[in-house]
Amino acid sequence: MIFDGYEAFRAADFAPKACILGSGPAGTTIARKLSAAGIPVVVLEAGSREFSNDSQDFYRGITVGDPYFGLDVARLRFMGGSSNHWAGWCRVLDGLDFAPKAWVPDSGWPIGRADIEPFLPDVRDILDLPAFRPDVPVSDEMRWVQLIKSPAVRFADKFADELDRSRNIAVVLDTYVTELAGDGKRVTGARLWSNGRDAGSLAVDYFIVCTGGLENSRLLLWSNERTNGGVVPNAAALGRYWMEHPTFEGGNAILADYGAFEVDAVNEAFFSPTLSAMERLRILNFGIRLVETPYPGVKRIIADLACVAPDMAEWTSSQLSQNLRCAAQLHVAWEQAPLASNRIELSRTDVDHAGVPRIELHWRKSELERRTLLEGLRLFGATLARKNLGRVRIADWILSGADYPTNQETAGNHHMGGTRMGTDVTTSVVDADCKVHGMDNLYVGGSSVFCTSGQANPTTTITALACRLGEHLGKVIAN
Amino acid sequence: MTILIKTVSRRAIVRALAMLPALPLLRGLPDSDPDEIVEVDGWILKRSDLA
Repeated sequence: MIFDGYEAFRAADFAPKACILGSGPAGTTIARKLSAAGIPVVVLEAGSREFSNDSQDFYRGITVGDPYFGLDVARLRFMGGSSNHWAGWCRVLDGLDFAPKAWVPDSGWPIGRADIEPFLPDVRDILDLPAFRPDVPVSDEMRWVQLIKSPAVRFADKFADELDRSRNIAVVLDTYVTELAGDGKRVTGARLWSNGRDAGSLAVDYFIVCTGGLENSRLLLWSNERTNGGVVPNAAALGRYWMEHPTFEGGNAILADYGAFEVDAVNEAFFSPTLSAMERLRILNFGIRLVETPYPGVKRIIADLACVAPDMAEWTSSQLSQNLRCAAQLHVAWEQAPLASNRIELSRTDVDHAGVPRIELHWRKSELERRTLLEGLRLFGATLARKNLGRVRIADWILSGADYPTNQETAGNHHMGGTRMGTDVTTSVVDADCKVHGMDNLYVGGSSVFCTSGQANPTTTITALACRLGEHLGKVIAN
Repeated sequence: MTILIKTVSRRAIVRALAMLPALPLLRGLPDSDPDEIVEVDGWILKRSDLA
């Protein structure tokens, strides 16, 4: 069932056992799992069926620190959430991403990759993915890794009919939870704002917050402030350890054999380090996207020349009325160090139309990440050279220690952390089952529970964790 | 110098002087591993790339 507002839902007299906040990949997946377990669930979606500027305005906020995207464009606030604009790049976090690393403070998850692997067949069905293939070692220190360019499932498009037909799931659009009420043990209700006005409150047995990697922290911070800690009793880490995947051009390369690595439909191949390399160099995980330009014949020679003598190549290509670039470019995206100082705070000066404080995001890249970028490129370059696969040139700005360019990708629109998973209440918000520490009926879904970011795009892991949480909750609620 | 001449035979000194024109040939010999990785102007190369 899909309702266009809370009034219509209330009139339907549907009695849910659980309330999911948000209809993105995490919320929709958990709802479908609960429905499969026979549990009636309501999904409250703050936006409507389609994009609107009015709805997006609730996401405005500011960033303090490094340059970042506008917070109202880095995510989407309508049915299906940010699946409506994701690129569809899929890869599960590596096993090594879950392991604690002595050289990375506050790293390590309370679960391992093995805990989500049983759900990967489900994830493939949900995201329309082909089979995952194992990494291919290039050396003892570098891997050629798979990153699937999927059709980018829009969750509302794919599942709207199923949700509408469901007798166990009620999706309620234009219904924004402005705050949760709680007594330090249980959430007792959710305050609602629907179709532009206060819509009362909703009380159910279980609440699952799946509003996104920024919004989860915002809602819980505000709810905690309003209830004097009644929603997140152990709030030391709430909003903290926020992470992204910084992404910049790292240099270029000449390859000895442009057929050495199978590239995807847009001539890209991906490479990451092994755990032993990360340990030896004391760096974070990273992903190098090698973008080949498939020039044939003499154009290839000129394009290779462009790597070493760009002026000469420009003159030569102009004689051919061509615009040829160096034949392979390297883009690097890397894991961010989990730092408590990278955090979501509530604005003290600005609120949205419902009176909820907007986000003030404090975000900076660290020295460890800068070293990861440089040493990662050196490692990749040395690997290609030793194997005679090619030669790499590192971009000048990286070698010189100059500031990050402001005209490049910057980051991935990947919002992770803020309600991270763990066993230590001073550095985490939820436990290994995604239940908020100290609360009996409050769970969190989505990438805000990530302890570390790894280098992989997050949606695949978000969906796997949602499958796991959905099946877990199905058993908990049924009992 | 006097001590050196006294301890080294004249024949040995003449032989050494006769070999001097051949010294540049030694420059062609590798003074380190040709597979050693070196960094030149941002390029990650093997030393043999520089030969």
